[in-house]
Amino acid sequence: MTEATDLAARAGDRDPRVGLRAVAALCRLLEQLEAVQVRSARTHGWSWQEIADELGVSRQAVHKKHGRR
Amino acid sequence: MFERFTKEARVAVIEAQDWAIEQQVAEIDVPHLLLALLGASDTAAVRLLVESGLSIDLVVEELNAIRRRGGLSDADAEALEQLGIDLERVVERVEQAHGEYALADRAEGSRRGRFAGRQHRPFTHGAKRVLEHSLREAQDLGDKDIGTEHILLAVVTQPGPTADMLATYGIDHVTLRRALTRRRAS
Repeated sequence: MTEATDLAARAGDRDPRVGLRAVAALCRLLEQLEAVQVRSARTHGWSWQEIADELGVSRQAVHKKHGRR
Repeated sequence: MFERFTKEARVAVIEAQDWAIEQQVAEIDVPHLLLALLGASDTAAVRLLVESGLSIDLVVEELNAIRRRGGLSDADAEALEQLGIDLERVVERVEQAHGEYALADRAEGSRRGRFAGRQHRPFTHGAKRVLEHSLREAQDLGDKDIGTEHILLAVVTQPGPTADMLATYGIDHVTLRRALTRRRAS
């Protein structure tokens, strides 16, 4: 990387707007990924309890979020 | 508030619901408002969008790409790139394992299945905010009625993939306001 692009990359890194947007985007992506994986687990016959254990949350939480979809 | 909407604006709101039905989603979201505005007959808002190179087909295509990425815009993808996350690659991997559009199903306004019929659909939180905000846009311009251009101004001020997408076509609050002011002056 040239010095100029290196500097530009670092400047971008420090821009809170970019950092915050990345976090927000990651949150949304995470939600989607969770939905995909939970759906897949259900299709494979996993119980809500098994899914909850893997995700490290309560069975109620995972069922409330993903049940009836 | 709806009593202050112009006839075109009311039609656009109704057509937004038709777009949600057409796309088989459970809620009317911001993109559906944008599509309805574009589909409206020759109104101030449509002229502004068309002059910027947008068409219904193009917007449908762009929004489809966003939906496929789980509701993430180009700007979101660039921000993730800064973290070393290649969104396209993530989408590719997930689709390889779980099928096309696997990430699309949970995006706001894209829940499928339970609302298969033609019954009334609710607005998403974002779409509600847009409609509420359109009143402020009308007030700021000193207009008595809420027209399609005020809804469009509200669409671009609502942070999210739709506003991000419009921004890539050079359509944001500043350029829209400038275009509107110029049009009114001439």
